Amino acid sequence: MQIRNYYTVYLLFTFFSIFFLFIPCSQSFAGSGSQNASDPSLILSPDKQFNYAQDLFSAEDYSTAVNEYKRFIYFFPKDKRVELAMFQIGQSYFLGRKFDEAVKSFKKLTDRYFETEYSIKAYFMMSEAYVKLKAFNLALISLNNLIMITQDEDIKDEAYYRIGWIYIETAFWDKARHYFNRISPKNRNKFKLEKLTAELDRETLIPKKDPMLAGFLSIIPGGGYAYCERYQDALIAFLLNGGLIYAAYESFDEGHDALGGLLTFVGFGFYAGNIYGAVTSAHKYNRKETGQFIYQLKKNARVNLSADLENKGVLLSFRFSF
Amino acid sequence: MKKILSFIIFFIVLAALSGSVLAGQDVKIDDQPQGSHEADENRENAPLYPIKFYQDYISRIDGNRCPMHPTCSQYCIEAFRKHGTFLGWIMCSDRLMRCGRDENKLSDPVWIDGKKRTYDPVSNNDFWR
Repeated sequence: MQIRNYYTVYLLFTFFSIFFLFIPCSQSFAGSGSQNASDPSLILSPDKQFNYAQDLFSAEDYSTAVNEYKRFIYFFPKDKRVELAMFQIGQSYFLGRKFDEAVKSFKKLTDRYFETEYSIKAYFMMSEAYVKLKAFNLALISLNNLIMITQDEDIKDEAYYRIGWIYIETAFWDKARHYFNRISPKNRNKFKLEKLTAELDRETLIPKKDPMLAGFLSIIPGGGYAYCERYQDALIAFLLNGGLIYAAYESFDEGHDALGGLLTFVGFGFYAGNIYGAVTSAHKYNRKETGQFIYQLKKNARVNLSADLENKGVLLSFRFSF
Repeated sequence: MKKILSFIIFFIVLAALSGSVLAGQDVKIDDQPQGSHEADENRENAPLYPIKFYQDYISRIDGNRCPMHPTCSQYCIEAFRKHGTFLGWIMCSDRLMRCGRDENKLSDPVWIDGKKRTYDPVSNNDFWR
């Protein structure tokens, strides 16, 4: 009986020894999981979520950044950075060259917030997105809306300046001048208006070709092309049309009326094409010269505006030609 | 001389009429039966058959040597589709005269399949739009 008791005690001792030996081991193995479960870093906090979205934006991963900003707005709708997140969504679309989506995002922001820092920036960015989409009228409307709602003279001046440049982009020089003249005297130096208007006045010197005259000169095949300084095309048009007209004449003269008719039909296309091409060439010439003038104007006199603003406004960088 | 003039006038009138009839862009009748739509479509595509024949059987063997983008044949198809037969034919003739010379210096370049081409779509040449 005593032997049995000793045996039982021995067994119990062994069991508890093993049990106590395993306690620290089991804690060390399972500990990693339990510690993580209680780790506060796993809880989605507004700061972590927003910073993650900002990191993605900085890394130029714009499509993922949009999703993360949206997640931030969804989970933390009361956070004070919601407006910024909405603006950043628009910026992400803009920088990702999804201008339609950018416009929608900025519009959402301007519908929700009224004359705040980011809503004003959103108006500017919306107009930039419209310009990228070549929807110049909508860009003008967006800036005019901003002028209507804001009382801040600096913002109005920037809007006038941007409107002026949209008119330059579309070669409406007088309208551009009109809007530049509306900028208040205190901001005229900031936008380098003196230099800009001096450069803009040189638009009268842009070489131009008259499309009507080009068409008229094409009565002699190639004449219109030569007027537009396309001498190789002029020579080809002259030889081709001359050849076809002569061939048609000879065919009719020899009594080959069917062949003559066919040559006349083909010749008519090339003759009309020579007139049409000369008129188009004059337009292309004017477009090219105007484009070069605008390019030079931008290079020499444009104050580069960015909507990455601090406080209310405008981050200015200046370009000078040396 | 009188004969030649009469032929020229005849063909100009014929081309003008075929242009306005075949263009079909301004005439839009939605309640037409499907068969007549198909007939209209075939009639619209009729001037394109020679160009498609050229693209499918001649250009494939001859190779893509046009230095412009879109190529002249493709440009003609687009011009016919966009502006009808009459104007399409004129634009097509104009393009064939301009292909690969002064236009290369004036229009923007574009890289297609590793080759430099001159970008000259129909939209660059319909100045009235």
